[in-house]
Amino acid sequence: MFELCVLILIPLLSAGVCYYLKNIRLQYSISLFVSAVHLLLSLMIFIGWYKTDLPFFFSTDALSKLFLLVLSNIYFWVVLVSFSYLKRPVTQNSEEGKRFYFLLLNFYLFANTAAILSNHFGMYWVAAEGTTLSVAPLIYYYRNEEALEAMWKYLFLVSIGIALAFIGILFLTLSAKGTPLEGQQLFFSEFVKNARTLNPVWLKASFIFIFVGLSTKIGIAPMHSADVDATSNSPSPIAALMSGSLRITALLGVLRIFQIVQPTAIYEFAKTILIIGGLLSLLFAFVFMFKVNNYKRMLAYSSIEHLGIITLGIGIGGLAFVGAMYHIIYNSLNKVVLFFSAGNIHRRYKTREVDGVRSALNILPWSGWLLLISFLSISAIPPFGIFFSELMIFEGMLFSDQPWILAVTMFLLLFIFINMGKTLFKMLYRKDENENIVVEKESFEIIHFAAIILLILLIAIAVVSPNILHENIVNISKDFGIKL
Amino acid sequence: MQNVLSILFCLSLFYLAVTSRVKAYVSVLRFQGIILTVLLVFPFLNHFSIYAFILPATLFVVKVILIPRYINKILLDLDIKRMIEPSIQPFTFQLLVIFSMIIIFVTSNILSKSTRIETIPFASGFSAIVVGIFVIIFRKKLIIHVAGFLVLENGIFLFGTAVASELPMMIEIGTLLDVFVVVFLMGIAMNKISSTLSGFDVTALGRLKD
Repeated sequence: MFELCVLILIPLLSAGVCYYLKNIRLQYSISLFVSAVHLLLSLMIFIGWYKTDLPFFFSTDALSKLFLLVLSNIYFWVVLVSFSYLKRPVTQNSEEGKRFYFLLLNFYLFANTAAILSNHFGMYWVAAEGTTLSVAPLIYYYRNEEALEAMWKYLFLVSIGIALAFIGILFLTLSAKGTPLEGQQLFFSEFVKNARTLNPVWLKASFIFIFVGLSTKIGIAPMHSADVDATSNSPSPIAALMSGSLRITALLGVLRIFQIVQPTAIYEFAKTILIIGGLLSLLFAFVFMFKVNNYKRMLAYSSIEHLGIITLGIGIGGLAFVGAMYHIIYNSLNKVVLFFSAGNIHRRYKTREVDGVRSALNILPWSGWLLLISFLSISAIPPFGIFFSELMIFEGMLFSDQPWILAVTMFLLLFIFINMGKTLFKMLYRKDENENIVVEKESFEIIHFAAIILLILLIAIAVVSPNILHENIVNISKDFGIKL
Repeated sequence: MQNVLSILFCLSLFYLAVTSRVKAYVSVLRFQGIILTVLLVFPFLNHFSIYAFILPATLFVVKVILIPRYINKILLDLDIKRMIEPSIQPFTFQLLVIFSMIIIFVTSNILSKSTRIETIPFASGFSAIVVGIFVIIFRKKLIIHVAGFLVLENGIFLFGTAVASELPMMIEIGTLLDVFVVVFLMGIAMNKISSTLSGFDVTALGRLKD
């Protein structure tokens, strides 16, 4: 019960308190405290220092422990930098966005934790929709036309997506007719145990609906458009939160149904669907990268690309599945650094257009270098973690029964890397021939500190490779019936 | 009884296909809300308990009172015109709805032979889901998109009763509240869209593209 209070009820309470507090600094202090406590407990649960015994519709397993830690970590860093972000001058209209900022963030933590810890499809659905409801107003923080359009599209399309996922859940109920699960509650664990008895036709329909519905939230092509608009038009901390934690919460829903499907006859079908989704995402990112105008949109497409790689890894199975689990962690950390740096550039140049940014390395040395390093990291350059996770996924692809996928993936990734690099180098180095750029001194802020720590984490986790993390991922693989 | 109510529900979908008035959409939503409430109350008439009435009562408040009133308020505040502005010919739309419903009913009948399902509520629910999606695709006004989304949600609810999925009451109420908050946020967004983008339909939303 203690963990339920700390992880779920306190964020809700904190959201309520933030509603009544006018002082933003006080709201920030409370939210930061809540996020630190949340992170500490999530870490203790992950390491095994705290044994959980969650009531009602909640429980923990290896998968939820990992996702909880990822969420908690990303959320902590986002809250940490949020105050310095809110202090920045914005237009008059945006002032009102500040008032509900921490309230919505706390509510997001509440809903997202509930979704991750839920052991019940209904509970997961309600909580996942709750995350959409908390994030949508945050997308509209700048109160401009683009943000409004992005918020509308995100709210509308994701709500429809989630509604489709609900139909998938109802199909799952149908698949249980005539089995011991008939008339029982929709607990994941029970469905996994009795998966072999489920009706394959309804189970197949259920998988399709849940996957397609949640794709709007994960950002898997071709359902990715609302997600891209939302990520590219929201403030940087929120974009980081969405790319780093919200997408994987939606992925968790797909993983749950995939786990149920695993011992059944439609496993191969589900794998094919995941592989198609992953490849399509890579293809969309590949096409987009040839004509980048907006650098935040480019980062949003980078998220589509990496979620695509993760989905591919899960679909391929074996070692690629293990790589995909590592990739979830590294991609989350990396995306936060990328969006934080892009946010600083946006503040200085007041534009998201690539053409409006010049010589960023001279004008914003801290942010410029951080952007460059995080780009190298996301492009899987060693010693950053993504290199190792992608290597594992590629190895898995090579030794799978469909090695041609590796060739296609490598081809798409190569051009994504070249085009993304071209755009970023333009922003970082470009200046006119006679233009005299004065090297400026950028003050070191907490946002830089957070980015540096996260980059160090990206290397440290990969190089040290903590045993506890490895064990956890092996346990997840076992739960998914993967023999290594 | 369940079948009779489901058929009434289906008729409301036909009405959606032929009407071109915005207000009619709100009336249909209210009517569907009443049908769903009766569907929920009906099984409890024989063994009455206060506890069993919490969910139907919440459903009634959300779907029959709050949401239609809220949409009416938006219509009034924004002074939205009475017509729905379709993007295809009304006759084509009606044909589309009728053919889809025929296919859904025939398919459901075939499926009911292998799995125990209540064919009529099942097919009616699924028809509402499809009609809701059609309304969103083939209508231009944003408020009608919201109505289409709600028809889709109502369809899912009816569909849920047809497959006899028993979700715990807390979760059912949670889903209802989620839907209400979605509509509430959409209403706020629509207010802003009409003032900043000066438009009530999807053509006002064309700034973001690759």
